[in-house]
Amino acid sequence: MTERFFSFLVVIPILALGIAITSFGKDTGYVAHGWIIVAFSIFAVKRLINDWGTAKSEKTLTYNDDVVKIGIIAAVTWAIIGFVAGDILAWQLAIPSLNADTSWSNFGRLRPIHTTCVLFGFAGNALIATSFYVVQRTSKARLAGKTMPWMVMLYYNLFVTLAVTGYPLGITQSREYAEPEWYADLILLVIWIAYLVTYLRTLARRAEPHIYVANWYYLAFIVVIAVLHLVNNLAVPVSISSPQSYSLFSGVQDAMTQWWYGHNSAGFLLTAGFLGMLYYFLPKAADRPIYSYRMSIIGFWGITFLYLWVGSHHLHYTALPEWVQVLGMTMSVVLLVPSWASVFNGLFTLNGAWDKVRTDPAIRFMMVAVLFYGLATFEGSFMALKPVNALSHYTDWTVGHVHAGALGWVAFLTFGAMYKLVPWVWQREEIYSVKLASIHFWVALLGTFIYVGSMWNSGITQSLMWQTYDGDGNFVYAFIDTVIAMKPYYWARAIGGLLFLIGGCLLAFNIYMTVQGPRARAGNAVAVPAE
Amino acid sequence: MSQDAGLVFLKTWGALYLLAFFIGMTVWTYWPSRKKGLEGASRIPLDNGDKPCR
Repeated sequence: MTERFFSFLVVIPILALGIAITSFGKDTGYVAHGWIIVAFSIFAVKRLINDWGTAKSEKTLTYNDDVVKIGIIAAVTWAIIGFVAGDILAWQLAIPSLNADTSWSNFGRLRPIHTTCVLFGFAGNALIATSFYVVQRTSKARLAGKTMPWMVMLYYNLFVTLAVTGYPLGITQSREYAEPEWYADLILLVIWIAYLVTYLRTLARRAEPHIYVANWYYLAFIVVIAVLHLVNNLAVPVSISSPQSYSLFSGVQDAMTQWWYGHNSAGFLLTAGFLGMLYYFLPKAADRPIYSYRMSIIGFWGITFLYLWVGSHHLHYTALPEWVQVLGMTMSVVLLVPSWASVFNGLFTLNGAWDKVRTDPAIRFMMVAVLFYGLATFEGSFMALKPVNALSHYTDWTVGHVHAGALGWVAFLTFGAMYKLVPWVWQREEIYSVKLASIHFWVALLGTFIYVGSMWNSGITQSLMWQTYDGDGNFVYAFIDTVIAMKPYYWARAIGGLLFLIGGCLLAFNIYMTVQGPRARAGNAVAVPAE
Repeated sequence: MSQDAGLVFLKTWGALYLLAFFIGMTVWTYWPSRKKGLEGASRIPLDNGDKPCR
């Protein structure tokens, strides 16, 4: 009864919001969003009513993997859309005429589609799906609630849908990585709280006395993202008839709030959450416990405490007070310690199982992900140093750094986890084609190297050209000279991105064929229904 | 609280708080009597029983 009540508490206000937008909205895109919200909510109500009569069967002793499956499919779907958008952007930079001279297809509107699809669509769904899987297995308890996990998955993807369909129409609040307008933000806020409650309720009913460390990382991800989202999106809507809103912050406070949000999104969505994934899937796949469980706990507290201070390193040499910049720089350097503790912990976990790196592409993906995590965290701390930042900031080096983390760490780890998780939840012997997974690995690795390498080169070239003066202190190069000099690197980036996209398609095909394939034989079943 | 007062607080009590927390957390984690329990916890993912208890 309680869960049904809270489920309606989630659905009804969102449905009302959708109806209000369709009724009072004036902008076409905004009204269309109202209809999308209503459609999702009607689906949710239908699900609630269907579950009404079967609520008692929730206590059957089987894990709830259906919602995990939906999360996997959503993650892969958004990944492909996001990779396509990203590569289109890369080609637009190499060949500017591909902007096509229309408002919806220009770089400024396509770019947030790419970032939202990969950050929230791909990474977010992968984290929600794996967290639901991991919390059940490590707690030896079924996911709490029958309807709420579905609500979380459904409305989370509604949020991503609203965001991605709004950008081409110009619906954005222009906050980097937080572009969706107030009504989409409200939906995410409600559903994120539902996610947290579901997670905590599952932990509360656990049969395993100890809360495994992966859950600590997942919880840090859920709690901190809720706080970041709430604060960064504090805004006043113009009216119910308009999608526009005005931020509560202005000036340097606005900049600081945005980068406090922006960098902690990297810290808690792309790092803490994925460390949770690493600390479950790597030991499980290698069939070896974590090298040092106690080190993983120290790493958790180190990352949780230090990350929250480092956002100001994005605002070096700005109007931000000097001490805040130095604080961000210092904490960024110290952050390297817990980050590399996780790197060594991950690599040493493979001691005694290094042969599997050669034979199992999933473990190879995860091992390389750990290496890229080490590389990206070292690079991040290095770039946070003010003298280095004077060279790197506003250049493509930053883009290269972000993609070393996003492709090499986040995506590689997710790919590795997916190649294990898909056969487990769909109860298949193994992935459809190990050879195809291996090809995916090498194609994606080559694409990542080309992408990141070209951006390092272009970034440093840009900066050195910008900072070249003649004897009288005049610039030697005009800005357009630096743009022309980037051309070969932009072509290389587009090719690297294309390779990564091809790899993503191989993953999608492999997952599709695995799902379509036969179930594991009874003796080899990877999941056993209890009743 | 002015920005300067906030800075002084961070440099003194804030830094002490972080240091005390770090030392406390490290001592808690590495306390000898916890070794066995935490090493046991590291094997949780390796449990192949795919059946929830609750």
